[in-house]
Amino acid sequence: MRQPPLTIPTTITVPEAVKHTASNGTPIYAIDCPEYEVVRVSFVFHAGTITQHHPFTASATANMLAEGSLNMTSQQIAERLDYYGSYFDINIDRDYSYITFCALSKFFPQTAEVIEEVILRPTFPDAEVATYRDKRRQQLSIERRKVETIARENFAHAIFGASHPYGISYSEDEYSSLSRENIMEHYQRCYTADNCIVVCSGAINDNVLQRIKSIAEQIHTSQKCDAMSLPPFDTKHNVRIQHDGALQSSIRMGRLLFARTHEDFVPMQVLATALGGYFGSRLMQNLRERNGFTYGVFSAMVNFQHTGYLAIATQVGAEVTDEALRQIAYEIERLREEKIPEQELLLVKNIMAGEMMRILDGPFGIADVTTENILCGFDNHQIEENLQRIRQTTPDELLSLAQRYLTEEDMVTVVAGDFSQLS
Amino acid sequence: MITYDKIQLKNGLTVIANRDRASRMAAVNLLYKVGARNESPTRTGLAHLFEHLMFRGTHQVPDFDTPVQMACGENNAFTNNDYTDFYITLPTANIETALWLESDRMTGLNLSAEAIEIEKRVVVEEFRQRYLNQPYGDQNMLLRDMVYTTHPYRWATIGLTPEHIEQATAEEIRDFYQRFYHPSNAILSVSADIEAQEVFELAEKWFGNIEDKPYAIPAIAPEPAQTAARRKEVERDVPATTITIAFQMGERLSRDFFLGDMTSDLLAGGDSARLYERLIKRKRLFASTNAYISGDLDRGMFVFTGQLLPSTSEADAEAAIWEEIADLQAGNISEYEIEKVKNKFEANTLFGELNVMNKAMNMGYYEMIGDLPLINREVEIYRSLSAADVADFSSRIFRPENASTLIYRAAK
Repeated sequence: MRQPPLTIPTTITVPEAVKHTASNGTPIYAIDCPEYEVVRVSFVFHAGTITQHHPFTASATANMLAEGSLNMTSQQIAERLDYYGSYFDINIDRDYSYITFCALSKFFPQTAEVIEEVILRPTFPDAEVATYRDKRRQQLSIERRKVETIARENFAHAIFGASHPYGISYSEDEYSSLSRENIMEHYQRCYTADNCIVVCSGAINDNVLQRIKSIAEQIHTSQKCDAMSLPPFDTKHNVRIQHDGALQSSIRMGRLLFARTHEDFVPMQVLATALGGYFGSRLMQNLRERNGFTYGVFSAMVNFQHTGYLAIATQVGAEVTDEALRQIAYEIERLREEKIPEQELLLVKNIMAGEMMRILDGPFGIADVTTENILCGFDNHQIEENLQRIRQTTPDELLSLAQRYLTEEDMVTVVAGDFSQLS
Repeated sequence: MITYDKIQLKNGLTVIANRDRASRMAAVNLLYKVGARNESPTRTGLAHLFEHLMFRGTHQVPDFDTPVQMACGENNAFTNNDYTDFYITLPTANIETALWLESDRMTGLNLSAEAIEIEKRVVVEEFRQRYLNQPYGDQNMLLRDMVYTTHPYRWATIGLTPEHIEQATAEEIRDFYQRFYHPSNAILSVSADIEAQEVFELAEKWFGNIEDKPYAIPAIAPEPAQTAARRKEVERDVPATTITIAFQMGERLSRDFFLGDMTSDLLAGGDSARLYERLIKRKRLFASTNAYISGDLDRGMFVFTGQLLPSTSEADAEAAIWEEIADLQAGNISEYEIEKVKNKFEANTLFGELNVMNKAMNMGYYEMIGDLPLINREVEIYRSLSAADVADFSSRIFRPENASTLIYRAAK
């Protein structure tokens, strides 16, 4: 039968987040979607790994917030949350930590009592720190047996410099010196009202909002902890790490660029999507569909607070490592030399619009996008602007961006694998 | 609560529709009742390889993904032991694009020698990436091979070995398509802001003309009940030893399924659950622990697993798991603990109903297991179970002669 006609959405309407301010200055953004009987609230602190003074402190602080508080033991916290079917998620990146709680609306009051303990009164008991140290150390040593972990960590070293706060990683042995004092110091310095935003979504009625406000306004105040100056980047362009017995090699390629606030960020996202951002992308067509070198290959723009980069990642059969690298280089070269056909670009634009619609379909996704916008200094009008910016991108513009930014001499290539299998 | 309507087209295709008034996206799920269970022991991995081939295009639509993506949509698929599932989400206005593509590949798939060759290579790479080149990657395969002796659950969806995939012939693959990919072996489920009647009319429009070619799927002999303890020890280049103990348990539609699910929640559902609280935090024997059920259609597995801390001896770790079992069997389960597990189950059910994709997928799944109304009855079934039921289940299932123990030892 014939292909049905298509409708391409030209706008995405998103409820605007309403901003409230707690008495201590903590901003609270509320997205009310009363048709869902759930509440989600996120506390975002400028407390990522670049703010830590001791290895593993930032992640330990975030991950251990619920491991005991002034009025509750870790077990009581876990019990209370589980009993009401509530849960929380901890995420941490180089810049921020994100602590997100989800509850059924009918159990939000009970959940809020636990949130208060976790956010405001954690004690990081010594015994819990000891358990955490052992567990994480073991997990990390397992992770580091995987070529993808080795490549990921070494790619960060190569792009930013091995001792740069955005690039550094630590030996798992450093866990042995992680102490309660390190964690407490980090918590007191970074988990403050000046370093925090709160974003809530779901059924946010007045009672819920007041309750969230009452927690936020108890967060203590101090100076902002982001005033640190980042050292210059120290980029290395070619790194190979031998990992005996690996059946596959993990490849990371990319280059340092700029943060999301830069005017070329969105069009570079379009370019990264065309290259490897979807199932039928150029890299997937080449490496997976035509050559069968890999199960998957991806590329994307990655955003940090102070910078950003383009990354390409894949895992390929050890014996085809060099050929895969040549094919990736070839696809990048093609972007520099030929205009992307209109029809392919239209496809990429529709994919990106569809992805935005999917993320924004539901209160939790809207909250995530809102958070990202706020951290970049935008509001939710940015969603519409980004969509328009994507639509305006032309083959000429992408060609000139590729020539400007995808220069061979600026590319960083990191491979982890067993090179003894290559001859 | 998921409201739905269901019809069957003349050619046997089952169609289920849920109206979601809040979403602007439509989810279209097409489930085929075929999985690794339908494979021969000498040609494993075929169902999963075939799932990949479903994306290689047809004579009419040479590229499956592009039209989905042009419609601002996203699609993917998965295969497990019991079934193969294909799903698409896209803006509601474009729902017909999804129906057009799914109906098209139900009949006209391109199974050229070239398409088959390339897809075999991709799947072999997947085998290597996820099972061979991964610490603990073969653990689950070893376990299945102990718990099952004759039933096809003996192998994982990826297959027993990459050679089975490499050696699959074009004829075997075409036969597979004939036998399993036709209307009466499929379930179409849709969740979107569209009236059920309209969904049914669209299903008739796009699928109504497809001819059904019924095939009597051979019955699978049940796995014989286990009568003696099984044990296997292997050594691998991994940093920590893991101990896994698996027990055979009841099939998906038996009451034991719910008891097993509830028991696994008591043991491992959340940070306040027994194994985490007792074996990791209190006794500090393990770095991680889990208890789960496989949840397959036929007789399933109840699995205990834990990764040891370097200071823990294998004997102590194994004994600690059996102590937890003894505690359940003795009925040391408070009403509070049972209530917590029930509340959590209810909340997770509700969180899962927030999104059209989950709903469409779940409707297809419950229809596949043969009891669609169960989708809204499970919370109530959970509510009806007691601490005594869990103790009884534990005594019946967690017996040494029903146990398969796998020691996956870290090489020194």
